[in-house]
Amino acid sequence: MKFNFLFLLGYIDPLLAGLELTLKLTVGASIAGIVLGFIASLLRTYGSAPVRALAAGYVELFRGTPLLVQLFWFFFCLPLLLHVDVGIVVASLTALSLYMGAITCETFRGSLALIRKEELDACVALGLGRMTRIVHVILPLTFVRAMPPLLSNIVSLFKESALVSALGMADLMFVGQNIANTSARPVEVLTTTALIYFVVAFPLTRCVGRIERKVLKRF
Amino acid sequence: MTYSFDFSSISSGLDALRQGLAITFLIALCANAIGVVAGFGVGLLSQARSRLIRMLVSAFVEFFRCTPALVQVVWFFYCVPIIFNVFLTPVTMGILVISLNLTAFNAEAYRAGIQSVPREQHDAGIALGLSPFQRAIYIVLPHAFRSAYPVLVTNGISALQQTSLLSVVAIQELMYRGKELASDTYRPLEVFTTVGLLYLAVSVAVAQILRGVERRRALRYSV
Repeated sequence: MKFNFLFLLGYIDPLLAGLELTLKLTVGASIAGIVLGFIASLLRTYGSAPVRALAAGYVELFRGTPLLVQLFWFFFCLPLLLHVDVGIVVASLTALSLYMGAITCETFRGSLALIRKEELDACVALGLGRMTRIVHVILPLTFVRAMPPLLSNIVSLFKESALVSALGMADLMFVGQNIANTSARPVEVLTTTALIYFVVAFPLTRCVGRIERKVLKRF
Repeated sequence: MTYSFDFSSISSGLDALRQGLAITFLIALCANAIGVVAGFGVGLLSQARSRLIRMLVSAFVEFFRCTPALVQVVWFFYCVPIIFNVFLTPVTMGILVISLNLTAFNAEAYRAGIQSVPREQHDAGIALGLSPFQRAIYIVLPHAFRSAYPVLVTNGISALQQTSLLSVVAIQELMYRGKELASDTYRPLEVFTTVGLLYLAVSVAVAQILRGVERRRALRYSV
C-alpha cells in the first residue's frame, strides 16, 4: 500500500471551508452555551426548590443523553412539534448550545461554590441590589475561576461538533468523509482531517494548563 | 402543540431497540474493562524514566484527547483494515476504538493519583524487596484508583454515550436501531424520545450506583 498525501493539496479550499463552519458553530454555540450555563448555574445554586429541580433536570437531561441523539431529536422532532421548518443550521446550533449550557452549568456551579460567604455578606452590607450583585460581584468572581475548565469545555465542544456531519452539515468532518469517499483514499484524507482537528485543539489544551496555573497563583 | 403522540406505533420495534441496547451495553462494558486497566498502565508509563516512552505515551494520549471521537471511529473503520491488513468484526472494532479513547482519558485521570504517592512509600516498597510490578499493583494502584475513581466514573459514562457514534459506521447498537426504526415507522419523535430516555435512564442509574459505592467506601475509610 502506497500513500500519497500530495493529492490533498487540491482539496485545501473545501477542507478550510469545512474548518470555518466547524469554528463558527463552536464559537456560536460556546457563546450561547456559556450564557445559558451561567444562568442555569445561578438558578441551580440560588433558586427556590422547584427552580433548582428544574435546572437540575435540564442539566441531567443533556448530560445523560448522547449529543448525537440530541442532534437527531432537534433536527427531526422540533419541526414536528413546532410546525416550522427550523433548518439544519438552527437545529444544530440549538442542540449544541443547549448541550454546552448543561456542561458549562456544572463548571460554573463548581466555581460558584468557591464564593465565600463573607463576599456575599459584604454585598448585603453594602446594600447592593440583586442584579448588581450578580453582574458586578458573582460574575467576575466565578468567571476568573471557571476560565480554565470553560476553555476545556470549548475544546470538547469543538471536537463534539463533528457530530453535525451526521445530519449532513458540511463541517470539517463531513468534507473530509466526502473527499475520502470520492477519492477512494480514506487513509490520507481521514488522517489529514484528524490532524487538522488536532492542530486546532492541541494548542488550546496547552493554553488551558497555562491559564490554570495563573489562576491558581492568584487564589 | 398539536402533534398527537403515538407510542403504540413503535411498539413493534421495541425488540429491535432491546437488541440495540444489549449491543450498547456489551461495547460499553468491554470498553470500560479495558479502559480502566489499560488506563492505569498508560498512566504508569507516562511517568517512565525513559524519555522516548514518555513521548510515545503522551503522543498517544494527546492524539485521542485532541481529535473528535467521531473522527477516531471513522478512521479506525476505514484505515485500520487498509494499513494493517487486519479485519475485525464491527463490534470488536467498535470496542477497540471506544476503549482506546477511554484509555487515553483514564490515563490522565490516573496520572495525578500516581504522582501523589509519597516518595517514602516507594522507598519502603524497595526496602521490602517488592518488584517494580508488585510496587505498581500494591502501592501505586490503591492510591491512584481511589483518587481517580470519580473521574473514571464520569469517563465511563461518557464512553457509554460515545457508543452511539458507532451507529455512523453501521454497528447495530441502540442509536442505529433507533434511526432504522424512525425511518421505518415515520415516527422520529417517538423513537428518538424513547432512545434518548433509554440512554438517560442507563446513565443516571449507572452513575447513582457507582457514586453510591464511592460514598460507602469513603465512609469506611473515614472511620
